[in-house]
Amino acid sequence: MANKIKNEFVAYSEPAIRTNLSIVEYCRTSVAAVSGCTAGVLGLTGLYGALFFVLAVTTFWFMLIFKAGIDSWKKYFISRKSLLLNGIFGHFFTYILCWTFIYGMVHVY
Amino acid sequence: MPATFVHRSILTIGFLSLFHAAYSAAQHRSYLRLNDLDFTHLPLDIFIQALGALFIIMYGVLNITGDFKEIKASAELENKSWETFRNIPSFYVFNHRGGKSPAVTKTSLEEIE
Repeated sequence: MANKIKNEFVAYSEPAIRTNLSIVEYCRTSVAAVSGCTAGVLGLTGLYGALFFVLAVTTFWFMLIFKAGIDSWKKYFISRKSLLLNGIFGHFFTYILCWTFIYGMVHVY
Repeated sequence: MPATFVHRSILTIGFLSLFHAAYSAAQHRSYLRLNDLDFTHLPLDIFIQALGALFIIMYGVLNITGDFKEIKASAELENKSWETFRNIPSFYVFNHRGGKSPAVTKTSLEEIE
């Protein structure tokens, strides 16, 4: 019981959390843009594009956890799920922008 | 480890590869257009190259941003010694009685040397 109470109060360092999240945000924005470009190159249309986005983001999530360490990710992040889902719609719009742009550049013109 | 030259080159290679795949896809489209063929799917090699470039760029971006920091508040303090925390500059005393003491003066110190 005493051990349980002790574990509930963990002091986190805010600058460290902020640094980690900004690194993740930077990476995820780039991944959204680049996967959009790839989807445009591949000529995906409709739901396949959305599926590709889900695939790319999930793959990147696994890579991220792998980088932090499969056992030791708790040292760097509070929650794994928020790494996958935070701001996913914002990234989806970035993805759509790049997707349509590159699709137009490669396949239409 | 911070971003090294290797990671930068990996990222550059990825972007070049993606650009090359895009250019190949555009050429494939123009080939189809000239021969009045319909677009069904890309050739497999372009497909694989584009996907491979995506993964290479992901890897490069992930490694170029640098390491994560430990979020435990005590993580940074563990490497520091007690002397670092005890050191409080506001409590430094320079004007103490040692200067007035006849036993240890500047000249006597020089004589000792």
